[in-house]
Amino acid sequence: MTPLQFEAAYAPLWTELEAEVAVAEKRRRFDGARLATLYRRVCEHLALAQARAYPVHLTQRLEALTQRAHQLIYRRHDYGLARLANLVLVDIPEAVRAHRMYLLVSTLLFALPLLVAGWAAWRDPGFILRLVDASTVQGFEGMYGDGAEALGRHRDADDDWQMFGYYIMNNIGIGFRCFAAGLAAGVGSAFLLVYNGLHIGGIGGYLIAAGHAGNFLSFVVTHSAFELTGIVLSGAAGLRLGWAWMAPGRHTRIESLRLAARAAVVVMYGVFGLLLIAAAVEAFWSSARWVSPMVKYGAGAACWVLVIAYLGLQGRPRREGAGGVPLSSTSTSTSVSNGSADAR
Amino acid sequence: MRVPEAARLDTLHTAETPEGIALSLRPAGVMARCLAWLLDFLVRAVLFVIIAIAGRAFGGLGTALLLIAFFALEWLYPVVFELSRSGATPGKRAMGLRVVMDSGLPVTPAASFIRNLLRTVDFLPAMYAAAVATMLLRDDSKRLGDLAAGTLVVFVDVAQLHGEPPLAEPRAPSRPLLPAEQMAIVSLAGRAKRLTPERFDELATFALPVLGGLDSGASASQRLLGVAQWVLGRRREGERA
Repeated sequence: MTPLQFEAAYAPLWTELEAEVAVAEKRRRFDGARLATLYRRVCEHLALAQARAYPVHLTQRLEALTQRAHQLIYRRHDYGLARLANLVLVDIPEAVRAHRMYLLVSTLLFALPLLVAGWAAWRDPGFILRLVDASTVQGFEGMYGDGAEALGRHRDADDDWQMFGYYIMNNIGIGFRCFAAGLAAGVGSAFLLVYNGLHIGGIGGYLIAAGHAGNFLSFVVTHSAFELTGIVLSGAAGLRLGWAWMAPGRHTRIESLRLAARAAVVVMYGVFGLLLIAAAVEAFWSSARWVSPMVKYGAGAACWVLVIAYLGLQGRPRREGAGGVPLSSTSTSTSVSNGSADAR
Repeated sequence: MRVPEAARLDTLHTAETPEGIALSLRPAGVMARCLAWLLDFLVRAVLFVIIAIAGRAFGGLGTALLLIAFFALEWLYPVVFELSRSGATPGKRAMGLRVVMDSGLPVTPAASFIRNLLRTVDFLPAMYAAAVATMLLRDDSKRLGDLAAGTLVVFVDVAQLHGEPPLAEPRAPSRPLLPAEQMAIVSLAGRAKRLTPERFDELATFALPVLGGLDSGASASQRLLGVAQWVLGRRREGERA
């Protein structure tokens, strides 16, 4: 078959596919089955044209056409609320549990410096000056003291909104950076975890020693459930990236990095959600001075339990024998007896 | 014709589809991507200024809006646009680029999120130095974020170097041609319109030994076009294909 005969015989199909693709690209209604059929035929024609070294203008036309159709046919369609619900109810907590070793390391990297710095600043009020400068300490003391500058004393709705915006920009940015920095062999994530742990612990310990324990703890208890978890989770996801690259196992380094990133990014969706909640809670609830500290401690405890239960228990597959005990146990025993009968 | 990987001069990246054909993806280099980033930066700056002016009227709420806009423009702007139908931010679209998966498919939300979060590392130590270094070192011009996400930034349009060979009196070659020779002659004929007539004639003389028709007095380019038509399957009146 000469190129001219080939073109004469099949060009009508190509024109038809071009028209179908053009319609589909404009998001109008199109015949999906016809598009797929035509696409497969034109793929055959392209393979033939390439194998027979037909003129370049011909193969290029077929290449461009198949490429456009390919983009349309393999487009994902499962976006939407159902996908989002599945992500929140199953995928995120599952992904967090799949990272439990990284989570442990990340928690230690964050909590140990926090406790050590907290203890040191509580014992020796001068220690805090090794971490931050004096004006910052004064600022914090003003915020959590009982004076006129105290947090939540002179705040109206406008300030709440302003702080909400600030927390979103600052805290979620830190979470995202903590993940990305993990690419540097995990060192970046570890550094940010230790750094944040030292600061939060140091300032916390200093404020408690200075007698602002009530104001400080009642302020942080609720949103810390979301914020500290979010930071630790982003650190864990970052460590995963670094480790995948350093110890690729049976993959190439880049392949291993790709697989780790795909798994870790689900955790990052969770971090995004947690830090978003943290920003809202911190701006509108934590700063509300009219709520009595006891209520805040109660709400804070409830939030901690909620977050840990969500990450630890939500979305686990139903265990054999735990949910429908009688039914599944009979079915297992029958299958076992059937099996033994077959064996005999 | 597939050329072995090592012998290739260009950066063409092929991706095989389930139908068994190879899609040709043309990765965009550093320059095109830097310009795209610059355009995006301008777009983001303009949006930010507009929001800042509009936000003034709302006091504290306006400041909140401004801070959230800053966050969104930094982190979410590229993700949102890459997941749109065009698969590209406005800057990339202006440069004729789009983001695709290594397989040539539209970019997935997870991949887009990964490659844009890892911008932070690509930026290090300053002004995307890490990204530029990685892109220069690799044939497929991937930055670190692209490596982790498995994505490519490619040119949407293909440069059309070849047209249809111009019509000419079909002319049989002086001897049977090998497939590679046939291909070379038809390819050269396909570029006839992009070359000056003199240059085309000069190139066509290389093929003189096989072109035949010495008696007709036609120029080398006329004879080459004739042979090209003959190879494509056109015959003179009354001649059998």
